[in-house]
Amino acid sequence: MGPVVRLDGDIAEYCLECAMAMGADYAEVRALDRREEEIILRNGELDAYAIAFDSGFSVRVLADGGLGFASSNRWTREEARSIAEEAHRLARASGRMEHIEFSEEGAVEAEWGVKQRRRIEDVHPEEKISALLEVDEEIVSQGANVISRALICETELLEGYFVNSEGSRIRSFVPRVGFVASGITIFESGRMEQIPFKEYGQSGGWEVLEGWGLGADLAREVRAMKRLIEEGKEIRPGRMDLVCGPEVVGIACHESCGHPMEADRILGREMSQAGRSFIHSEGPFWIGARIGSELVTIVDDPTIEGSYGYYLYDDEGVKARRRYLYKNGVINEFLHNRETAARMGTRSNGSARSMNYDREPIVRMANTYLLPGDMTEEEIFEDIERGVYMRSFAEWNIDDVRFNQRYVGREAYLIEGGELGAPVARPIIETTTRAFWMAVDAVSREVEFQAATCGKGDPMQGAPVFHGGPMIRLRGVRIR
Amino acid sequence: MRREEIIANTEAIVREAKALGADEAIANTVIGSYRQIRFSNDRIDIGLSWRDYSTSVMISWRRRVALTEIKDFRDAPGALRRLIGLAKISRENPGYGGVAKGRFEYAGPMADGAIERIEDPSEYIEEAIGAAKREAGEGAETGGILFTKYERVFLCSSEGPEGWDERSAIELSIRAFSQRDASGHGVECSNSLRDFDPARAGRKAGEIAKLAANPRAGRAGVYDVVLDPLFFGSLMGVYGSMGSAFHAMTRMSIFSDKLGERVAPDIVTIRDDPRSCSINCRAFDDEGVPVRETVFIERGILRTFFHNTSTAKAFGTETTGHAGIIVPMPWNLSMDPGDFGRDEMLEELRGGLYLTNTWYTRFHNYATGDFSTIPRDGIFLVEGGEVRESWKGIRVSDNALRILSSISAISKERQRVHWWLEADPPSLSPYVLIKGVRITEPD
Repeated sequence: MGPVVRLDGDIAEYCLECAMAMGADYAEVRALDRREEEIILRNGELDAYAIAFDSGFSVRVLADGGLGFASSNRWTREEARSIAEEAHRLARASGRMEHIEFSEEGAVEAEWGVKQRRRIEDVHPEEKISALLEVDEEIVSQGANVISRALICETELLEGYFVNSEGSRIRSFVPRVGFVASGITIFESGRMEQIPFKEYGQSGGWEVLEGWGLGADLAREVRAMKRLIEEGKEIRPGRMDLVCGPEVVGIACHESCGHPMEADRILGREMSQAGRSFIHSEGPFWIGARIGSELVTIVDDPTIEGSYGYYLYDDEGVKARRRYLYKNGVINEFLHNRETAARMGTRSNGSARSMNYDREPIVRMANTYLLPGDMTEEEIFEDIERGVYMRSFAEWNIDDVRFNQRYVGREAYLIEGGELGAPVARPIIETTTRAFWMAVDAVSREVEFQAATCGKGDPMQGAPVFHGGPMIRLRGVRIR
Repeated sequence: MRREEIIANTEAIVREAKALGADEAIANTVIGSYRQIRFSNDRIDIGLSWRDYSTSVMISWRRRVALTEIKDFRDAPGALRRLIGLAKISRENPGYGGVAKGRFEYAGPMADGAIERIEDPSEYIEEAIGAAKREAGEGAETGGILFTKYERVFLCSSEGPEGWDERSAIELSIRAFSQRDASGHGVECSNSLRDFDPARAGRKAGEIAKLAANPRAGRAGVYDVVLDPLFFGSLMGVYGSMGSAFHAMTRMSIFSDKLGERVAPDIVTIRDDPRSCSINCRAFDDEGVPVRETVFIERGILRTFFHNTSTAKAFGTETTGHAGIIVPMPWNLSMDPGDFGRDEMLEELRGGLYLTNTWYTRFHNYATGDFSTIPRDGIFLVEGGEVRESWKGIRVSDNALRILSSISAISKERQRVHWWLEADPPSLSPYVLIKGVRITEPD
């Protein structure tokens, strides 16, 4: 990657000065220098190697009770003044009777970053290509008829500068590596099974990709799909026990805990796109209401080193910390930015994230997971007479208040007499948030994380996140 | 930036790339200004504006393809040297089929300069909110976005294509809630202000929200279903994406082995029409090939995939003008109108459902088409044209090929729809009657 770094603190400061000189009550400028690479492999052939360099800045202004935002990727003083004017004009034009306010937060001067053991920019492109080709080779050499697949490797280096009118100055550096396998399709004996998507990602240098064991992991997935074709059984629908692996627990944490606990959603700010929340002040579900069994404690924690959703200060300059969303089965703490915190009379817990300099910071998850319990995996299985172990999921969705959800198993097995049996073809659980979490009666000791890209915002802002948890057991749920 | 400057800088990039040894080079410069106003609870939350100066560059060298984005013309020489270097150490793609060659005549830009000159877009929001409240009642809550764009585009290819385009769009999306669990959604989207009617979107959102009041839990079963244009627009977006040759090749499509085969009844014809008044309206694709109408499904038969030059070569055919350098995609889908009026279709229902919108469409197998999607906003149980009940909490759990092949009536009236990533790409979508749709509910 080339050394194109244009991030100019002076212009950011000048933009802030302009905004305040125009009479803003508050202003912040976020500047970002972004260097990205993407390698696309389709059915074993290298479609393209893409590199991108982007650098720009935005200003967000509170004026006359309204909020305005403007951005540009032209690093000139004229442009800085111009976008400050634009943001100021947009804020004033909103004409709000009820003024937007931000929660009181202290000024911060900080510098934080993620270390790379193998700097992404030092790894030769040939080595990166070879790494993908080796993964592809492992996928197709498992004795299964793999008829399609696409592999995409993405790296990014993000250098940020945040400055606001309250005296905060924060510099940051985040390298990330991501990998997506899609459409791995196996055709055997007239049947087609597919791994629609599998995503990997972490913050860090190239060493994180080397540590994933991508080829071995995807090869295992291919063999599991082949076995599903050869030995898979249809499940007889009915009530039974369900054991969910960390991947399924993670997606459930993300969809049915993380999203409904976003305070902007609860307040209606996402009402026309991502939707609202089943949690609201006039309903049965609010802070203090039971939503799961005592064993269910779900946290969101941006400070996990090496995680895909890692950060130490959010995009409003607020220090990040772990948030206890559901605590011992009870709704506990929402995810807040400064605007939602002010509206609910509390402090921000550092949940504002923006995916580029030209996108407004909004309330987001980082790394959402179920805290571990005290059982071994063997203990979880041992007293199940008849049930299903859903190791991973293929299809999932949830309604726009985050209550009615569905998970379709990708790799799943029958459990009989406490023992794992034959693969089960696409078992489905269609349930509600409360029914799912109330049914949890056992939680294992080992947490595993899965990388994902969370979608929210308009224009869409795909946020890198972890979700995960230990293995859990649900009693007497309906599976079909 | 002046037009002459944009052209000169873009041409210089292509010249420089060739001088450095590229076999082919395309530079596509977009100078864009975008505005958005977001509102919720009937109030404006934020006004946003962003400007983007960007040149996408593609080069090939001995069947090796490298891509980059240049955000500042001053960076071009260094970026091009890196790009050529990258191509030279990259791997040959035997399946690479090149980019379009030759000079083309383009239709003129269809952009509406009035969109760029709008002084205060919030007036449109007030209009839409007012219309929604007149239908759903003053106590109704509304939220949504208003988005505008104006882009100046110049594309230059070493292989001949060279063209100027201007692209505009205005889009309003409004959701109205008559009660917390009773909502309706309306959209307006166009490349021009001339036929942009925010009140129409507000009225529709308000009407549905009012009708959706006091919903009860839906019941699982198999139902005949009328889909609103907004709902069917989402499905058409899925079918269109699966029509990309890239997705056909990677089996992220139900159509991979179905070229020339029947995939729907005779009444179904779906086209891609990039020159209609769409928010994706354009003169040429990312290789500089003039866009044109493409018949995707003709009287139920899958006629073509959406191609760029390279994927077309792999399929032994011609480009359809849908580049994406790597992934060709449709620009603006439309389904041919049928013979039915909306009300006639609803009268066909005997204990069937009228579904007004959906979201979160996900497949557990893109190749076989098994999927589910979650209806949102108005969900109505209909008997002989009369709404008997408003429902909530159901899911369509079916198969995409089966849905397509079970279309039994299409309305005369069609609506331009687009919202977020759910009904995307934009489409001109009718009401559609589908027989025997499987509905599920949570335990």
